[in-house]
Amino acid sequence: MTSLVDPPGPVPPPRPTAADSRLRSVGVRYVLVWELEKLLAQWRTRTAALLCLLGPAAFVIAVKLTGTVPADTLFGRWINDSGIATPLVVLGFAAAWGFPALIAVVAGDLFSAEDHYDTWKTILTRSQGRWSFFAGKVVAAFSYVIAIVVLLAASSIAAGLLLLGNRPLIGLSGNVIPIGSAIGRAALSWLSVLPSCLAFAAIAVLLSVLSRSSLTAIGSTVALGLTLQFAGLVDGINPVIRLLPGSGLLAWHGLFAQPAFTEPLWTGVAVAAAWVFGCLGLAWHSFSRRDIAGSSR
Amino acid sequence: MTIAVAALGSATGHVDQLADVRLAHVSKRFGRRTALSDVGFEVGRGTVHGLLGPNGAGKTTLLRLLLGLSAPDQGDLQVLGRRPYGNPAQALAGVAGFVEAPAFYPYLSAQRNLDFLAGLDGSGSSVAVDEALHQVGLAERARDKVAGFSTGMKQRLGLAAALLRDPQLLILDEPTNGLDPEGMRELQALIASLAAQGRTVLLSSHDMTEIEHACSDVTILAAGSVRFTGSLAQLRAQAAEPSHALSCADNVLAAELASSMQLPAALEREELLVRASIERLDELVLALAHRGIAVRQLVRRDTALEELFLRLTSAGST
Repeated sequence: MTSLVDPPGPVPPPRPTAADSRLRSVGVRYVLVWELEKLLAQWRTRTAALLCLLGPAAFVIAVKLTGTVPADTLFGRWINDSGIATPLVVLGFAAAWGFPALIAVVAGDLFSAEDHYDTWKTILTRSQGRWSFFAGKVVAAFSYVIAIVVLLAASSIAAGLLLLGNRPLIGLSGNVIPIGSAIGRAALSWLSVLPSCLAFAAIAVLLSVLSRSSLTAIGSTVALGLTLQFAGLVDGINPVIRLLPGSGLLAWHGLFAQPAFTEPLWTGVAVAAAWVFGCLGLAWHSFSRRDIAGSSR
Repeated sequence: MTIAVAALGSATGHVDQLADVRLAHVSKRFGRRTALSDVGFEVGRGTVHGLLGPNGAGKTTLLRLLLGLSAPDQGDLQVLGRRPYGNPAQALAGVAGFVEAPAFYPYLSAQRNLDFLAGLDGSGSSVAVDEALHQVGLAERARDKVAGFSTGMKQRLGLAAALLRDPQLLILDEPTNGLDPEGMRELQALIASLAAQGRTVLLSSHDMTEIEHACSDVTILAAGSVRFTGSLAQLRAQAAEPSHALSCADNVLAAELASSMQLPAALEREELLVRASIERLDELVLALAHRGIAVRQLVRRDTALEELFLRLTSAGST
């Protein structure tokens, strides 16, 4: 067919005004608040929060009722001797098995849920750019991760101290750690796993953006977490293990040695930061260029 | 067959300065499949422009491009003088609409969904939300979750979401899908009232009759390319006479009479098919009566535009 019209002249996009900039910055905050509101309304978020809140107390009660201790875990054999051993046992378990699932169930769904409901075409034709949605959703995912880590830390410290007492803790080198110092180190330990947890969240976000399927994103993140856990059992690949997103999850052990060492903590933070920026960079690259072509394509 | 009617001054190379939508040489592929090929047309300001084509013609792909949801592989397009791709949030000021079935969060109420969308536009006015819901007849279902809405109710909610933006240009993809006849009439009245306010409406449909009722201009797409663009009057000028089925006391004599009047006629089962304008058909009926041949039934088979549409969009037409 012949052209029916002359090509339109090059009309540049309108220049951003102060109102546009204000709308964009309001946009990220607005999307964040909206995502958090949606998260709070979802059963999966509430279940995860309830698990983090009550799980440690239930664990302590089970230990007391059965009279057995998880002796094969770090600090497990001292769980009845000091209440502050409880958050460390819970942290060890969560780092090994719990965090990837707890994180993925939300972070792996935030983007692909819009594909599931086919709502990208609804929200991306309003007055906010893709960056507002991307940034708002990522910050919402990270807020959720921080919230569950803090909640699990607080509830496990409280459960241990209230139900098992506040006697000093025996350190990894056989050193006695006064309760005050042990609580501080336990809190620091929980803080130290945050970067790795955020790295897992970034991976879940990337998989959610790429796969456009919550099931795939959540399942793949959990599978990755399990694979990394098993990889840690393989001898001779330590240099590789240190570069994986979960490397910082065990770095807190050094805080309970005599003398304490923190080098793995900083390495873990650097590795996690690289994973966070790498995954989010790839996710934004894909999301910002994506054709919203509908479910049929 | 190519029917490229001189629309909006295109034959002379003149570009209508008041066009709210302009496309030139736009192509879009999905893998090996060509969804749009060298598409070009304009939508004049304040008009109701129909985008007509059979399923798979490329209508929805085209509307996605106009709403900035995807970018063309080739060519250029503008809405309200701006390119929607690249920075759609900025470029879509004054533009609203939906493609395919409007989609919302099913676990939230209609009102909450619109609240969120209004907030994204920077307004967040509950009055505007209530007004939009009232305008599309959903005020009484405002607090119901969208999960329980019928297709027609979601179409109405989609329209309400678009109206929230107080758009100059409204882009609607098959908006009457799922609506009952009354709902269709209400929607057509609403579109007419929006056009009367000076707004431009671009609506897609696969139904010629719907376009005939609602639009002043039309672009016909088939297999990803434009087969016609221009006013309905221009399209009608291209159309053949409508077809009518007559049942007479003596169909054979009636057919001979029609042929003698140079009217294309054919006997088919118990009917006589005649292609004629209304005026010529009147002449035939009077002539039949004059000859004493009773006309027992007279039914219009297809409209001229329907016939032309089918001809334009048939596989062989290029």
